[in-house]
Amino acid sequence: MTNYKLTNDWRTGQPIGVCKDGVLGIPFDPDNTDYQAYLKWLEEGNTPEPADEHE
Amino acid sequence: MGKTATLANIGSVADSSLGFRNRIINGAMVIDQRNAGASVTASGSEVYPVDRWVVAAFNATGGGATLTGQQSSTAPTGFNKSIAVTVNGTDTSLGTNDLYEVTQRIEGNNTADLGWGASGAANISLSFWVRSSVTGTYSVGVENSNGTRAYVVTYTISAANTWEYKTFSIPGDTTGTWGTSTGIGIQLRWCLATGTDRVAGAANAWSGGNYIAISSTANPIMGTSGATFYITGVQLEKGATATSFDYRPYGTELGLCQRYYYKQPATAYQSALLDGGSSDYPSIYVTHPVEMRTTPSTTFESFAGFYYNSGSGQASFTPSGGTTGYAGNARVGYSRIAAISNGPGATQVQRSGQWTAQLSFSAEL
Repeated sequence: MTNYKLTNDWRTGQPIGVCKDGVLGIPFDPDNTDYQAYLKWLEEGNTPEPADEHE
Repeated sequence: MGKTATLANIGSVADSSLGFRNRIINGAMVIDQRNAGASVTASGSEVYPVDRWVVAAFNATGGGATLTGQQSSTAPTGFNKSIAVTVNGTDTSLGTNDLYEVTQRIEGNNTADLGWGASGAANISLSFWVRSSVTGTYSVGVENSNGTRAYVVTYTISAANTWEYKTFSIPGDTTGTWGTSTGIGIQLRWCLATGTDRVAGAANAWSGGNYIAISSTANPIMGTSGATFYITGVQLEKGATATSFDYRPYGTELGLCQRYYYKQPATAYQSALLDGGSSDYPSIYVTHPVEMRTTPSTTFESFAGFYYNSGSGQASFTPSGGTTGYAGNARVGYSRIAAISNGPGATQVQRSGQWTAQLSFSAEL
């Protein structure tokens, strides 16, 4: 089952991407086809895991 | 013949006869950065057996069939590589969303000059070498990005396991919406099987839909487990007449592929940071070999030691974990790995150094 986890910018703490299955780093770019697949996954009612806290 | 006459003769050559005619990238199937010749299997998914080429198998209504794709040295005279597609299992009960195909999606920037979607749309020619273990009638769909315009052409495999050369002249589409920038311009889809949802009423005509077959070509090969389908020498060019294959230098073809995907050499040294915190967050800075189509996704293919100056000389650190992070913009970016086990940066110290790592970047259409 596909898993997505948000990724924060380590400098700002703001979400900048999402990691798929712990393998694929996906940017929030509407032209990126992996991001398009992520949006479709969200539309199906799924929720990503929160990003790691950076201390 | 004087210089004036020579130039006049060049001027009379059709536009499509000059260099960089082929809008297909890696049409001779020579570049395979991902797999280095190894096979990949599409099972409810798309895979890339060679650069820029997709093999897809979606088996929405059961049956369990998959497709294996692989760069092959089986090729017609004049070529040395092809894609070999092998059918695993069978699917003879095709429903909506069942789909088995070989595809290349062409960026709109590379087809914008065709002027499709308006009067004056240019004609194109499609040519390729094909070979199959199953004789019969097959088809290719020419589509826009959102599947609202399609033109299906059919071809016959006359003899099993024999290379055959096919050419088609396709009129430009004067209606519909055709991408002209970094999205899909035209997609070419070789049908290996499809449900009725992608079957057009007739071949050789533009229609408003997502079509890659007609009824007689909806399942040419997926009824035979172990069947093989090879293709190479694919060319799509402007003009109504297909010309000989437009060979490009290997390095040129590789650079064209790298706009959509590239993999770094194994054990490449990456300039990097290890920023401090209760855990370490390594960042690797990357300059892409060519400007990628859009911000790419990143995969850490391998990730080994971090080498840095500890203040008392060279030191190294080998992580015990870590997952893929984030890729930067289309030209220069950084890739950040999620927290790994505590290392030398974990005491609120930011260290610079270099990782030995291998990353791949994908900005495929």
